[in-house]
Amino acid sequence: MSDDIKKDRAEEPELTDQSRRSLFKTMGLGAASLAGAAALVTGSDDKAEARTTFAEFFQKNYRLMSEQEKKESVKRLETRYEEDYGRKVKVGYEPAEEGVLFGYALNIQKCIGCRRCVKACVKENNQSRHTTEIEWIRVIKLEKGQFSEAALTQGGYPGGDYGIQVGGNAYRNAGLILEGQHYYEPEKVPEKDSFYLPMQCMQCEKPPCVKVCPVRTTYRDPDGVVVIDYNWCIGCRMCMGACPYWARRFNFAHPTLPAKELNTDMHYLGNRPRVKGVVEKCHFCLQRTRKGRYTSCIEVCPVGARKFGNLLDPESEVRRILDRKRVFRLKAEFNTYPKFFYFVD
Amino acid sequence: MNNNSIVRFISTFICFGIETALYLLKGGLKFYIWCFILLSLGGLVVIGGALQGYYGFIVTGLTDQVTWGLYLANFVFLVGVAAAAVTVVFPGYVYKHKEIKKVAVLGEMLAIAAVSMCMIFILFHMGRPDRLWHIFPGIGIFNWPNSMLTWDVVALNVYLALNVVCGFYYLYKKYMGEPTNDRWYIPLVYIACVWALSIHTVTAFLMNTMPTRPMWAHSILPIKFIITAFAAGPAFIIIAFSVIRNNTDLDIPDKVFHFLSQIVVWCLGIALFLTISELVTELYPGTEHSFSLVYTIMGKHGLTMIVPFFWTAMVFMVGSFILLLNPKIRKNLTILPYICLVAFVGIWLEKGMAFVLPGFNPSPIGEFSEYTPSIVEIINCIGTWAIGLFIFTILAKGAVGVLLGDIKYKEYPDS
Amino acid sequence: MKLFKITYTVAAATLAFFLSTGPVTDALADNTESDTPKTDCFESREGYTKVQRVEGDNEFDWPNIKCSDKTGGVLWWGDPFDGTEPMGEMPIEADYSHEEAVVKPRIPHLTYFMPCTACHNGETVPVPTSTKPRQLYMHQDIVPNSLDLKHGKGAIWCLNCHSAKNRDKLIDHFGNEISFNQPQKLCGKCHGQIYRDWRDGIHGKRTGSWRPNGKRRWWTCTECHNPHDMEPPFKQLEPEWAPELPRGMTNADHEQHHYPEDSGHGAGHDSPASGAGHGETKAGAGD
Repeated sequence: MSDDIKKDRAEEPELTDQSRRSLFKTMGLGAASLAGAAALVTGSDDKAEARTTFAEFFQKNYRLMSEQEKKESVKRLETRYEEDYGRKVKVGYEPAEEGVLFGYALNIQKCIGCRRCVKACVKENNQSRHTTEIEWIRVIKLEKGQFSEAALTQGGYPGGDYGIQVGGNAYRNAGLILEGQHYYEPEKVPEKDSFYLPMQCMQCEKPPCVKVCPVRTTYRDPDGVVVIDYNWCIGCRMCMGACPYWARRFNFAHPTLPAKELNTDMHYLGNRPRVKGVVEKCHFCLQRTRKGRYTSCIEVCPVGARKFGNLLDPESEVRRILDRKRVFRLKAEFNTYPKFFYFVD
Repeated sequence: MNNNSIVRFISTFICFGIETALYLLKGGLKFYIWCFILLSLGGLVVIGGALQGYYGFIVTGLTDQVTWGLYLANFVFLVGVAAAAVTVVFPGYVYKHKEIKKVAVLGEMLAIAAVSMCMIFILFHMGRPDRLWHIFPGIGIFNWPNSMLTWDVVALNVYLALNVVCGFYYLYKKYMGEPTNDRWYIPLVYIACVWALSIHTVTAFLMNTMPTRPMWAHSILPIKFIITAFAAGPAFIIIAFSVIRNNTDLDIPDKVFHFLSQIVVWCLGIALFLTISELVTELYPGTEHSFSLVYTIMGKHGLTMIVPFFWTAMVFMVGSFILLLNPKIRKNLTILPYICLVAFVGIWLEKGMAFVLPGFNPSPIGEFSEYTPSIVEIINCIGTWAIGLFIFTILAKGAVGVLLGDIKYKEYPDS
Repeated sequence: MKLFKITYTVAAATLAFFLSTGPVTDALADNTESDTPKTDCFESREGYTKVQRVEGDNEFDWPNIKCSDKTGGVLWWGDPFDGTEPMGEMPIEADYSHEEAVVKPRIPHLTYFMPCTACHNGETVPVPTSTKPRQLYMHQDIVPNSLDLKHGKGAIWCLNCHSAKNRDKLIDHFGNEISFNQPQKLCGKCHGQIYRDWRDGIHGKRTGSWRPNGKRRWWTCTECHNPHDMEPPFKQLEPEWAPELPRGMTNADHEQHHYPEDSGHGAGHDSPASGAGHGETKAGAGD
């Protein structure tokens, strides 16, 4: 695929300029001033923003683009990123593979809460590093707690004869809302009295975020991954309100991404650097998985708690887990049918 | 309508516009100072907007946990105010309440101003206002009917159009000294009345169709929104009418005030009833779905940001309700506007601060966090309110001029 | 008091904003993370399989690995097959293609492999005549007390796994020798269920291709587990940094409060009592 892009680039060097010119003609002065005003509003000093070309500003929603338009769009992005970060980059646009439905399984019994998946994800997916830091995976620490005789006299219904056992989550219902800790910072993990629950985008089959998007910038691709066209997102954050798994993150500022840390292998719908004011989230590392490689979080998990594969292939790891292990999904009552499963040995 | 009448309509409408503009420039010192204050405050949005546009939302207090803040809170409240224009239009046209019908057009002007404010707030709320065109049908993608937000876009824009057409048509006809063509004008007014309900209903649907946010996800929301709006809206109209009565020659009879204050008091009462229903339904079983409400009322895990807003709102709403229940106080037109102001602020606090914001706490995965509006957000909100009030002032002054007959079409012999 | 709090909050927010606009601009130019990337890293468990970061000159301009600045753990592999070789002879039940299954050889990462038979050649160190546990005074850095081996709870001892005759090899039930590079064959002889899961990709870790017939690196047992100390099976690790607090929050203390003992305002006797209870719980569990 990437070779194809290269070839096309060599054959049609004039293409983007031409189309840009014709766009100018058709859109006329009004369009130019509109885009100018937009550039002003969105911070003209911002390097990447300033170089957002008119053609990029006026490009279509990714889903409606023809193959040709996709190529042009990707080339524009490559030019911009190469100028911004001073490095050679590749923006791919591999479509979903036929006969593939991605699924994920996480062994909650194994997770030790080390957060390596979180940071690996940041490195792979060109997320903003600090102020504001964007992390797509959140690991929740759940305390096991314990029953205690002393608690018998505390709380409870009037009379106080039968107290409420104030143990940790293991002894308390944790349904919709989990009384966990997100900012735990112990010396070593796993802590003795805790277990851990990582959460990320569940790639729902019926995603509430897709339903509420007013401009259809987020949609579900045939391989089951809910993707976002970052160039079409208007930043209304309806999807963030609708997501039951708190999977989506907003670019509050232009992402802080050191050039040296840039992952130069990108995908249009995947890890290409975002701009401020748009929403992003986990996309199962499209730039990797559509070329056959595991996601970044899978590869980094030191305990092998994370598993990934094609749900349509009975021989895939994830299907074997579904066949053999005890499996559950989070918030099943929301009827979102996540493609992200939790299991225990 | 033949060609001639169209030309006549256009020329007279231009005259109407010019004369109104000239009329607007005339005013007392008080008017100029008021406009100056509003415009200077409104000018703040240029600074606030530039900062937000340049740096991004990092200049706001919003976080990934609390993604909708002051902007959306004000938006939701103002949709209610806009919808509440119906409280003067409906009795005027459907109940044929003569005195109210005379000033009903002021309600329409308020609706226009409130919807304008809504739109400014939405632009501030958007991460990429430069991409607004993506939502325009035709050149962009309008995810209708799937996205509830698109319903809201339709509802608000059509409502704005209805009010502009009805309001300005009525004023124009008054200006011309002609009767309105009731064959289409009255049906349009009726449609506008029903539509007013729809805008706030759809705004409620925007929120209560998210089961992820259990505080919002209950079917009481649309009616509660409408009821609180029908308390806040007339309260604001009472204040506006008092100002107009005290500062212009327009005579707004006491009857109008009595009528409106009755709407305020009963709607406040029902709003409090609905609040109690909500509290009992959520708090008695004490499921995890009630955590947002617990956070609002008492704070949770030591986080108490919303608590003062909630209790202030309750004190204001209950206080004004009890005061207004007393006919002596309700009919005292000197005190009434002040009580109405208290009710108005109370509902703003209840709906905006104590309902929209805590919906995000806890986050869907159980995290509690506090959202503190930043100075830029506050500046932008104040500025937008000032712009809205300025729009209303201008529209109301023009409308009053027409109603008083100060702006009147004079047939020149040669035209 | 409440009013004061609000005033204070607004004032603080104002101040914070004016102070923060500076850092915002700085942040855009801040490249601290990239200036000194950590180069000395470990792959799975600390102390084993060390890797050096090398800046790459490949098609994507990638380094071979990226590591955590905090823990030194590898967070990202440029080439998941770097330093691997085919796994070789595989258990017959498996249904993967032999060529596509690679492992990182364990021998170069072993502490005392020079090779083992350099000393354990029957002369320098005699071949033991009995496989019964006895006190050892060597390799105490690996097994501190040979009579208290932290694996198998007394059921096994060194020579159940290490070949008594050829110390460069491990040994199966039938006395066949197993390479140190294929510890799975050894471990599988007791841990059948886990071995089956590992073979099917359910247990353990793999990197590379997710396709069932794709090339991938199989992480062998000893890359994650220390066979001489299986209590616990996976050693504790230093975690990565906690996420940034939501802007406007100064701490995450509220996470330590739990329903139902906290009463929001921390009113009355409830809070201190529950705080103490909490502390006790922790201390008790830590014992």
